[in-house]
Amino acid sequence: MSEDRLRALLRKEPLPGAAEAKRRGLALVERAYAERRSANRPVLPRLAVALAAAALLAALLLSPAGAAVRSWIGDVFTAGVRNARPALTEVPGGGRLLVQSSRGPWVVQPDGSRRLLGRYEEASWSPHGLFLAAASGRTLSAIEPGGTPHWSISAAGPVSDPRWSPSGFRIAYRAGHSLHAIKADGTGDHLLGQAAPIAPAWFQLGTHLLAYVDRARQLRIAETDTSRTLASTAATAGVTTLGWSADGRFLLELTPHGLWLRRLRLDKLADRIRLGAARRVPLPAGVVRAAAFAPRRHTIAVLLERRGGAGAPHSEALLIDAGGGPPRRLFAVSGRLSQLAWSPDGSRLLLAWPAADQWLFLPVRQEDHLRAIGNIASVFSPGHAGAAQLPQIEGWCCPPAPSGSG
Amino acid sequence: MGAEVSERKLIREAQRGSGEALAALYAMHWPRAQRAAYLVVHDAAAAEDIAQEAFLAAVDGLDRFDRRRPFAPWLHRIVVNRAIDWGRREALRAGGGEPEERAAPSHADEAAGELMPALAQLPPEQRAVVVLRYLLEYTPGEIGRMLELPRGTVNSRLRRGLDRLRDLIEVEG
Repeated sequence: MSEDRLRALLRKEPLPGAAEAKRRGLALVERAYAERRSANRPVLPRLAVALAAAALLAALLLSPAGAAVRSWIGDVFTAGVRNARPALTEVPGGGRLLVQSSRGPWVVQPDGSRRLLGRYEEASWSPHGLFLAAASGRTLSAIEPGGTPHWSISAAGPVSDPRWSPSGFRIAYRAGHSLHAIKADGTGDHLLGQAAPIAPAWFQLGTHLLAYVDRARQLRIAETDTSRTLASTAATAGVTTLGWSADGRFLLELTPHGLWLRRLRLDKLADRIRLGAARRVPLPAGVVRAAAFAPRRHTIAVLLERRGGAGAPHSEALLIDAGGGPPRRLFAVSGRLSQLAWSPDGSRLLLAWPAADQWLFLPVRQEDHLRAIGNIASVFSPGHAGAAQLPQIEGWCCPPAPSGSG
Repeated sequence: MGAEVSERKLIREAQRGSGEALAALYAMHWPRAQRAAYLVVHDAAAAEDIAQEAFLAAVDGLDRFDRRRPFAPWLHRIVVNRAIDWGRREALRAGGGEPEERAAPSHADEAAGELMPALAQLPPEQRAVVVLRYLLEYTPGEIGRMLELPRGTVNSRLRRGLDRLRDLIEVEG
């Protein structure tokens, strides 16, 4: 076959549905162009008005007169943030995202390009983003962000909640009702105990301490290398999520109806940890949809859902200092937000707005701007017929990697 | 030369807010972008997504685009790199085998032509250089710069790809 023959074949190969694809593409591109042109002109005043309206809403909803303005604010926000970018062409603030779709986990690069890792049911970052721990059926795997598997092990039960230790040298995971720890090279797998269906949380300061809730609903802190329990107490009723502050001083228990914090003190002489009593964090009435410690110190971001008079959901993102003090309200919308993740440097929060099919990149500092990106669901469900669901945000990665660690 | 001047003018007008200019740029470049993606990924829906993403990236970067440079290589670079990523990912999902070992996709049978089943036997990286060379008419040096590969690697991939295609497609010309 000559080169000319190959050229001819490449040019005449039929493209299925080419005309329809061209029309759809043009409509999308023209919409993106129009939105970008309009966003480039008055975006700052309009965004400022929108954010001011959100702040006003939040203030008014806490007042007896709140009901009177709720519908007005709803008109502004229920369709999502206006001027949202129509496509994921960058991660505002940088870093890489890990999201879980119905097709598997995806890694999103800073330029918005993304890669489906394979048929894994869940995954989580290693501390510096060099690897991911991924679960599929009864198999736990360590894979590169490009999808290349490094090792896999088989477990006695379905693997879930893999969590890489901040040191990079251990992975904790659940296998059925059992909680295990394994070295990051895939060796040394061992049982820690029986666990409730709640993801374990690693101590953030290097030592291999793991907080988990056992099947008797005891909150335990275990030293994973020796399988010793260093502290144990009754877990807060209804706990669904555990979190450990970056400075190691606080343990968070999240339930749908509130947040509880415990202070921790390491008793070096007794080689034990003292777990303080659970203290409920004062919050406005509502359902806590998500909460997470910031990557530094002990600030907590909380996603709170409240109900208006007509029953419409209203969501607020709050910042709380675990050491005390009133919540700081960052953002409020009439609508239901569902997820929350901190940026690696702690400067932004990523929130999901399912009804608007948007991700919101919310700055923690007031001098920065809110960035919204739309059309998220379909991006992670290519070829999906009908309405796709927003993917689950699993993590936003990562601080720079020191040499020799994961 | 005339086409280059025309393209520069369209880019300038699109940067100034002309939707008609953007539509003209789209009409000029979409067919080859979509075709290139399709010939690498062998999946019409994925090719459409990839071409769309490339154009959306173009819209996003339009204000910063240097009008002295041609538009097509910039667009094709995005298209082909994303198509390669897609192909690698699908090869992994298909069962963890190396791309060279994967079976031909079903689309190859549907196309009922001789090209697609043969191309499907090449790994995505080889398909990409074949498409860049013989559909989009880039030189090996240009392909190397687009894919961040040494020119020798491009040449060897082209040679291996052509040899394989010759074996698979009946000689007619």
